Formats: sequence, structure tokens, C-alpha cells
Amino acid sequence: MIDVKGLHKSFGDLHILKGIDEFIEKGEKVVIVGPSGSGKSTFLRCLNLLERPTEGSIFFEGVDITSSTEKEVNLIRRKMGMVFQHFNLFPHLTIRRNITLAPVKHKLMTQEQADSIAEELLKKVGLSDKADQYPNQLSGGQKQRIAIARSLAMNPDVMLFDEPTSALDPEMVGEVLNLMKELADDGMTMVVVTHEMGFAREVASRVMFMDEGRIIEKSSPDKFFSNPENPRLQEFLSKVL
Amino acid sequence: MFNNILSAISAFFTDFGDSFYENFIAEDRWQYLVSGLGNTLVITVLSVTIGIILGFLIAVVRAAYDKTGRFGFLNVIAKIYLTVIRGTPVVVQLLIIYFVIFASVNIDKTFVAVLAFGLNSAAYVAEIVRSGIMSIDNGQFEAGSSLGFSYSQTMISIIIPQAFKNVLPALANEFIVLLKETSVAGYIAINDLTKGGDTIRSQTYEPLLPLLAVAAIYLVLVMLLSHFVTKLERRLSKNDRR
Repeated sequence: MIDVKGLHKSFGDLHILKGIDEFIEKGEKVVIVGPSGSGKSTFLRCLNLLERPTEGSIFFEGVDITSSTEKEVNLIRRKMGMVFQHFNLFPHLTIRRNITLAPVKHKLMTQEQADSIAEELLKKVGLSDKADQYPNQLSGGQKQRIAIARSLAMNPDVMLFDEPTSALDPEMVGEVLNLMKELADDGMTMVVVTHEMGFAREVASRVMFMDEGRIIEKSSPDKFFSNPENPRLQEFLSKVL
Repeated sequence: MFNNILSAISAFFTDFGDSFYENFIAEDRWQYLVSGLGNTLVITVLSVTIGIILGFLIAVVRAAYDKTGRFGFLNVIAKIYLTVIRGTPVVVQLLIIYFVIFASVNIDKTFVAVLAFGLNSAAYVAEIVRSGIMSIDNGQFEAGSSLGFSYSQTMISIIIPQAFKNVLPALANEFIVLLKETSVAGYIAINDLTKGGDTIRSQTYEPLLPLLAVAAIYLVLVMLLSHFVTKLERRLSKNDRR
């Protein structure tokens, strides 16, 4: 589904991604872990071109998105949901309008259709009673669940999660991870950057370890956590587990 | 003693009454103020409209350049425009537009004033709105992009509504300033509110009452405007409740 070839990304003199080749299949749940500054968020943000790669190409469903026009990229992004560390809900819109804005503006649905989809999604994320409130009236965990619902409203083929629980109070991490687990069980293709090792072990079909701009180990969660090969990964796991 | 004070007061009121009659009632002089107020309001409302539309456009171009590097050429033009307009007095701009640019055409003076004040106001509005746009967290742009919105869709549906709310007090202040600045319209012989008061003064040779009246009318207008802005701000901030 997503095919990454020779991906490099630099910010000025700073070389963040140093050659990544990766293939993500439909239905896979890929979890990327690694120390801060290893480039995992940048890698994720390259997948939907929030960051433009300096070199290399990315194919999404067979289309080379790195050589697509701005318009084509916008169409492709509709198929790739993204959840941010800081939620990035639209504070001037009600929860319902946050969820329905994209499908309605893209003329995929009428407001009524979108409203009923929003109702379903709010039920799914367990926040049906919040439809008419504004984002700032919600807790962090609730905001993140709404952000997930907002992405789902576009009916994406893949969901990208950029440290979705890192900005949450500890007691709210669970509710977001549970929702992500449900999503995984529904068969959604997911790419998740996180520090939640428990989630990686439980949900991932594949775990990747990134360090200094490269993916230096990838394997099934079992092997990844119980039998890591690379000394950097061993050191990392000994610190976080 | 007591009688003295009393007669002084009554003399004052008799004088005041006479003066009031002379300045406002006699020969229907109040009409100078009414028609002047009408012109002032027309000029202000129309130039505010031009200022908002043009100012927003300039701000969007400038912000697009700052954020994405696009519109380089337009950005340069906008920058020159802002520098010239904000670096010269509005009276001079008004005189140049009337006596230089439209020198050879017979043109409605109110139109010239609207144009001058509108173009002037646009420069200030542009910088206010731009600062509002730049103050919106980049995450909002990214969220818009990630949902497949183009830059302009993100701007219109997500960024500008938030930016507008943030800069509303500054914008309102700009319009209050503009309302008062139109008082120089008399330079091209437009009978605005200020000119109306001045006309009465020149007929009655009494400066006090006509000019105080003019000042009071401006003051009431500004207070009304401030009142509505406070109300609007309160309405717009309802989504900030926690």
C-alpha cells in the first residue's frame, strides 16, 4: 500500500532521514519506536507529505506521490488520516463541525449525511454527548478521541499516528490506546509512532526501531521485544522497559 | 451674595440658550451637522469596506509568502504599498489622489475620499490580519492539509475565522481611528461632520458650541462602536469557555 524508496530528508544542514526503504502492506499495523530525534516523526510526516522528502520517492496505492502536483497530493491526503500529538482540533468549531468539516467541504456528503456519520463516529469513540461542545471544553484524552473520529470521517485507507498519547495525562493514555486497538481490530492499516511499548507489543504486526535517521531493526513484536539483535535496540529497550 | 450667584447662573443659562439658538436653531444651522454626519458615516462605512476586503487580500498574500514562499512578486508589491501608505500622512494621500491622480477628471469628491481612506485603511488592516494569521498555531495548517484541504481552503475555513477573532479588538481600534481620521475630508472641501461644525463657527463667530457639538457626536459614535465590538467579542469567545 505504501512503498518508500530511498527516502532522505534534510532541514538545511541537518540530515534527518538517511535513506529509508520500506513497504507497508494493506491491513498492517506498523509501530515505529526509537529515541527522540531519531527521525520517526519526520518519517511519518513524509508519508503524507507534510514534510517534502529531499530525495527518494513514496508510492501510495501505486501512485508516486512525491512527483504529484499539489492538487493530486490533496486528493491523496483524503485517503490518509493523521492524528497529531497535540490533537490540532479546530477550536472555533463544535465537535460535530470538527468531524463533518472535511467531508462536507470536499462535497463527499451533505451536511445531514455527515451529521449522521459524525453521530456514529462519536458513538464509536464514546463521546456522543459532546457533539455540541467546543474542543476547549474537553479533556486531552477526549480531544484525541475526537481527532481520531475527525480523521475517520474521511473514511481513510490508512491512519498515521504521530505520538498520539505523548501530550496526555497518564490516566488518559488508556482510553486513546483502547480506541486505537479497536481500530486495529477493525482491520485499519495503521502506522504509529509511539513510546507506548505495551501497545506495540499487543497491537503491532511489525515493530520498527529507528535510530539516527535509519530503520535499523524491524521484526514481529515477539522477536522485537524478547530477542532484539541490534545492540542499539538492546540498549534502548533496557532503558524503556 | 446668594442672589449674585443665582443671577450669575441664570445669566449663564440665558447666554447659553441664546448661544444655542444662534448656533443650531437659527437658519436651521443644525442641518450642517446632520448632513456632515451623514457624509462622515458614508465615507467611513465605504472605506472600512474597502479596507477590510483589500486588507484581507494583502494579508493573505503576505501570509502565503511567509508560510509557503509562493506569491513572491505580489508580496514585493504589497510590501512597497504598505511602506508608502503607512509612511505618509493620510491628508497628503487624500490631496494627492484628488489634486494629482484625478486632477483632470471631474469626479465625485466623496468617491475620492472613500478611495483615499479605504486604501489607507487597507494597509493597516493588512498588517493586523497578517499578525493574526501568523499567530495561529502551525498545527492548524497541518490538520487542514492532512484532511486534504488546499492552502486556500484551510485559510478560509480554519485559519481566518480564528485569526479574525484574535485581531478583532485591533481591527475595531483601526476603524475607530479611521472614523476620526475622516475629519480631514474638509481638505478637499467635503462637507463632513467636522467641516459642518466649522461652517457654523464661521457664520456665528462662536467656536465653543459648534466644535463641542462636533466632538460630542464623534465621541458618541466611538462609544457606540466600542460597545458593539465588546458584544461581538463576547459572542465570538464563547468557544473559549472551559
